[in-house]
Amino acid sequence: MGTVLHDLLTGMQSALAPAGPNAAAIASLTWIMFVGGGLIFVFVMSFLAWALWSERRGWFAGRGIVIAGGIVFPLVTLSALLVFGLLLARDIVARPSDGALTIAVTGEQFWWRVRYVGNDGRDVDTANEIHVPVGEPVKLVLTTADVIHSLWIPTLAGKLDMIPGETNTLVFQADRPGVYRGQCTEYCGAAHALMAFDVVAHPADAFAAWLEGQARPAADPGIPFISRGRELFLAAGCGACHAVRGTPADGRLGPDLTHIGSRRTIAAGSFPNNKGTLAGWIASSQHLKPNNRMPDFNVFAGEELRAIAAYLESLK
Amino acid sequence: MNIQASQGPDARAEELPNEAPRPDDEFAQLKRIWDPPRGIHFITVVNNTYVGLFYIGTAFLFFVLAGILALLMRSQLAVPQAGLIAQGTYNQLFTMHGTVMMFLFAVPAVEAMGVYLLPNMQAARDLPFPRLSAYAFWAYFFGGIAFFCTLFFGVAPDGGWFMYPPLTSTQYSPGINADFWLLGIGFIEISAIAGAIEIVVGVLRTRAPGMSLDRMPVYCWAMLVFAGLIIFAFPAIILGTLLLEIERAFGWPFFIAEKGGSPLLWQHLFWFFGHPEVYIIFLPAAGMVSMIVPTIAGSPLVAHRLVVLALIATGFISFGVWVHHMFTTGIPQLSLSFFSAASMAVSVPSGIQVFAWIATIARGRVMLTTPALFVIGFLFIFTLGGLTGVMVGMVPFDWQAHDTYFVVAHFHYVLIGGMVFPLFAAFYYWTPHTSRRPLSERLGRWVFGLIFAGVNVAFFPMHITGLMGMPRRVYTYPAGMGWDWLNLVSTVGAFLVAAGVALFLIDLLRNFRPSPDNAGNVWNAGTLEWLPSGDYANRSIPIVRTHYPLWDQPRLAEDVEAGRYYLPGAPTGGRETIVTSPVHAEPQYVVQMPGPGWAPVLAAFFTAAFFLLLTVKLVWPALACGVLAVGFVLRWLWDTDPGRTPPVDIGGGLTLPTYVTGPMSHAWWAMIVLLLVAGTLFVCLLFSYFFLWTVNPRGWFAAPLPDLVWPAGAAILYGLGSVMIVVAGRTLWRPWTSRLALAAAVPLLVCALGIDINAHLQSGLRPQDTSYGAVVAMFLSLQGFYVGTLIVMAFYTLARSFAGKLDQVRRGTFDNTMLLWHFATAQGLAGIAVVQFFPRLVGE
Amino acid sequence: MKVPAGLALLCLLASCREESSPAVAHALGDAMEGRRVIERAGCAVCHDIPGVRGPRGVVGPSLAGFARRAYFAGALPNRPGLVAQFVRDAPALVPNTAMPDMPLDERQARDAAAYLQTLR
Repeated sequence: MGTVLHDLLTGMQSALAPAGPNAAAIASLTWIMFVGGGLIFVFVMSFLAWALWSERRGWFAGRGIVIAGGIVFPLVTLSALLVFGLLLARDIVARPSDGALTIAVTGEQFWWRVRYVGNDGRDVDTANEIHVPVGEPVKLVLTTADVIHSLWIPTLAGKLDMIPGETNTLVFQADRPGVYRGQCTEYCGAAHALMAFDVVAHPADAFAAWLEGQARPAADPGIPFISRGRELFLAAGCGACHAVRGTPADGRLGPDLTHIGSRRTIAAGSFPNNKGTLAGWIASSQHLKPNNRMPDFNVFAGEELRAIAAYLESLK
Repeated sequence: MNIQASQGPDARAEELPNEAPRPDDEFAQLKRIWDPPRGIHFITVVNNTYVGLFYIGTAFLFFVLAGILALLMRSQLAVPQAGLIAQGTYNQLFTMHGTVMMFLFAVPAVEAMGVYLLPNMQAARDLPFPRLSAYAFWAYFFGGIAFFCTLFFGVAPDGGWFMYPPLTSTQYSPGINADFWLLGIGFIEISAIAGAIEIVVGVLRTRAPGMSLDRMPVYCWAMLVFAGLIIFAFPAIILGTLLLEIERAFGWPFFIAEKGGSPLLWQHLFWFFGHPEVYIIFLPAAGMVSMIVPTIAGSPLVAHRLVVLALIATGFISFGVWVHHMFTTGIPQLSLSFFSAASMAVSVPSGIQVFAWIATIARGRVMLTTPALFVIGFLFIFTLGGLTGVMVGMVPFDWQAHDTYFVVAHFHYVLIGGMVFPLFAAFYYWTPHTSRRPLSERLGRWVFGLIFAGVNVAFFPMHITGLMGMPRRVYTYPAGMGWDWLNLVSTVGAFLVAAGVALFLIDLLRNFRPSPDNAGNVWNAGTLEWLPSGDYANRSIPIVRTHYPLWDQPRLAEDVEAGRYYLPGAPTGGRETIVTSPVHAEPQYVVQMPGPGWAPVLAAFFTAAFFLLLTVKLVWPALACGVLAVGFVLRWLWDTDPGRTPPVDIGGGLTLPTYVTGPMSHAWWAMIVLLLVAGTLFVCLLFSYFFLWTVNPRGWFAAPLPDLVWPAGAAILYGLGSVMIVVAGRTLWRPWTSRLALAAAVPLLVCALGIDINAHLQSGLRPQDTSYGAVVAMFLSLQGFYVGTLIVMAFYTLARSFAGKLDQVRRGTFDNTMLLWHFATAQGLAGIAVVQFFPRLVGE
Repeated sequence: MKVPAGLALLCLLASCREESSPAVAHALGDAMEGRRVIERAGCAVCHDIPGVRGPRGVVGPSLAGFARRAYFAGALPNRPGLVAQFVRDAPALVPNTAMPDMPLDERQARDAAAYLQTLR
């Protein structure tokens, strides 16, 4: 029980472990409703027990209790709750976002395309990881490339759907540095369960450094084995779907891999990111995440597979 | 209407019960007439008690099957990253679990209870359309079994039970899995509508004399509201499934954003049905509780009128809350506020009922029998579910809770608490009505204990799992999120529930022995279903003066059984029951009802076959089955509409006609109910048109409108067709004039539609290209469906005329054709008006 | 989570005690810790490893019954030290292997190898 409570209050994906004002406001509403609802439940059950067993149960036997308990009480409490809740909703929706950092997030079966819209017209693409500065509002512009998805980072804000033909905007703020896990919450097909992502909140200067790093094209490997991996990557046609800025690979179908080595996970939050998992993913992505868009590439000799994995891992 | 005006039942009250001895052979004849057929022909039985039992049994079978699917899912989720069930299979499992529980268990189960209980509760001999009930059941049975079996071939639907496009569009679901869902629930829609017609007419027109609306049992009210909800909610899903299937089959882009469609249109249509659906399931269950509580407390229901009002209010409010399933779609704050407020409001009527039940319990003295335990369990679980319902009705909280395990917990509390517990209470409570032995009280306590504990152990932790971030519909989850323990506990709970259900099955095996020679009123209940009964229902039909006739008239059972009330025999020599006026329940006429027959069973079989073969793209066999289905329906109808027979004496000095047509007849009422369904379907299509326009107000009208001459011509032809029908109706006494007028109406109707279609094609309407084209084409297609139906009905009516089964008195068949005809005319004109004038009005 | 994992580890320890002396297990590395290392590194992406949660990979061999193998990687005798070396830097021992070097330190590699030695 203790560990459950601990996880509820600290979990990296728990709505009751808020790390920003939106989630904090909703968390306090949640606690109010829990306590209030719990009390009402206890009262109603006490009435029932009284009606069943008390010698003086005749008190409850008339229409009066029906009108008091069934009409007056809910009207009063629910009206109050409704006003409170709607004001809260208004505050959350109306959170000012002028000049906020704007990040376009697109849901795709079954990963997240993330684009930092640059002031100078140069966008920075990444995937499955949203880095934000701490303490300032961030605006996510949500769209989808295929079916309906829903972006949810419980510790930071409520969820919002990504719907074909619509553009939704989610404004939130992270109050302290950390890693916050999010996940797709609208069933979007086969591998819906494996469509997660991380939000990484940095202090402002660290964020600026990160973004600058992401904006740079991929560095030249320098090490022969890794260079060989790059050649194989390009020769195998990986660039038809993936972009690695600074190389001829400029595919747009799959995630941008320019700095994949810097990410915490692969396959949309599904597996840790290292040479081993990268190699495993390339060779058996359909086993690991059935029906994702990437076919298995099991045509490489063992050494070649390692070289490609090493190349990807080097893209920090 | 003038028969009963001078002689209301109360005026003759002193004559009944009539102590005079009954003729010797009267009872034997009554029994013989209502005997079910023997041997293989038994499956053609139409008595509501048998069809009701089949229906309940089949619904319960689906409950068990869908429960097994749930156990499989819970096993997979017991530990993180388990490998028991593959991703694709899991997705089929949760889709089927939801779909089967909602469409093949919950709705049919409550409808089945209505089919079984309503006539008994109203002392009617049967529902007014026994063959329709049989048809509805068999269509559901054949279709449901085949639909479930898709799981074994790996082609079960896998888009989630609410099937959101574009995931379920051809592009992302190219297989036939989604088609099985869309066409597979076609027969459920048909059987639900059939049931609603049956129940509306049954409740309003076949109550015992004197059972005015004010004296009607709460359960009948609940079923009336239930039927009303089906009438106005199901058309939305019927239209939704039609649109999506047409999009999949022919590429008409209703839901494809790039072509001007909107996936949100589906969500609106689905939830406009989907939320009332919750009350379609809950209200009948609440009605059952309102019957059981007074009995277990031994005291009349407190605040009877408020409870009835609450049922009606729930019905109305339930149509104003559907958007609360869409709080996270980014719709404007103002809409959110309205729908949030409505969602709160719906808890008031539930509160009224809960407190009325508690007050009734307080007024009496409750013995903790098994039905009482299930009622108490219901109050516990349903109250909790209601409170979490208020929470998710709060917009900001819903942004967190939506589509997580919190919501899974919430709706299982509401649906299991609100429907399954009352249903088990009902099983234990009403079994003595159908079985020679009641179910075991000893086993019953264990069944209750296991299910009650299991439900709480399984679903309470899910509230927490959801708030900790676990989304619904995931086949696996990572370790270390704090969800592991909670999921394991939930799985244990699921198996506890399963153990309870298994024990219940054992109880059924040991004690459930359906027999006309039933255990009887073991609970000392006060309502009419506990009168002594057999296949013929009650020997005679009593006069009702209070809510609890058996409590208030101690000799009632004896008098009814001795045939001292109305209709103690079978004066017409066939199956019959008394039709009464809708408000005051004054006897109006004796309706003659058809007995068993193969036609409804075969019609149902071919209806199910039609849908299923269509799904697997065997178009020609499907069409053949469709024709056969229509053929068997016509065959069964051929025997109905018997024409004038002599009035009969039903006792108490009352002589009633045995054949009535026009607005007083039950058939007319049924047709009106059907037209309400059809009208709602049309309104839903209008909504779709306007909704898609609001999504893309600029440039939505993708094709130029035809010159007004053509639609004007079509409108005139529609009007002329209806004029011809009026003429045919006025000249029924001159067969040839009438036949010619009817025959002339057919080409007018066909030409009207043809001109309308041709005009649109000429002006360049391409349904595949734009959502505008698709919706306009849908107006024409829907109209085409009615034109096709009317052609069949016109020829059927003509055939009856030639067979000498149609004249100015025997005109029930003609009246129904006429009603649908005028409806089609009105719909055609309305469709033309909207399609032609709206674009001109908004200046496109 | 804690109890089922704990139970599994209890069984595991019991089996250790049965098959090899505690002292050897200790010198080898900490099998309980090794299991965590294996889960964190994502070894299950390529291998089916009994007792380790994950996708039951199909890229490399299943490691079920690993402790009973005479040779591994098709070339190397199954000695704990060699296994630890291999999980850390496979290409150094088998140049044409598909298994990359893994980001483990020496201790973690020893622990992981110790866990593999419990798979009988």
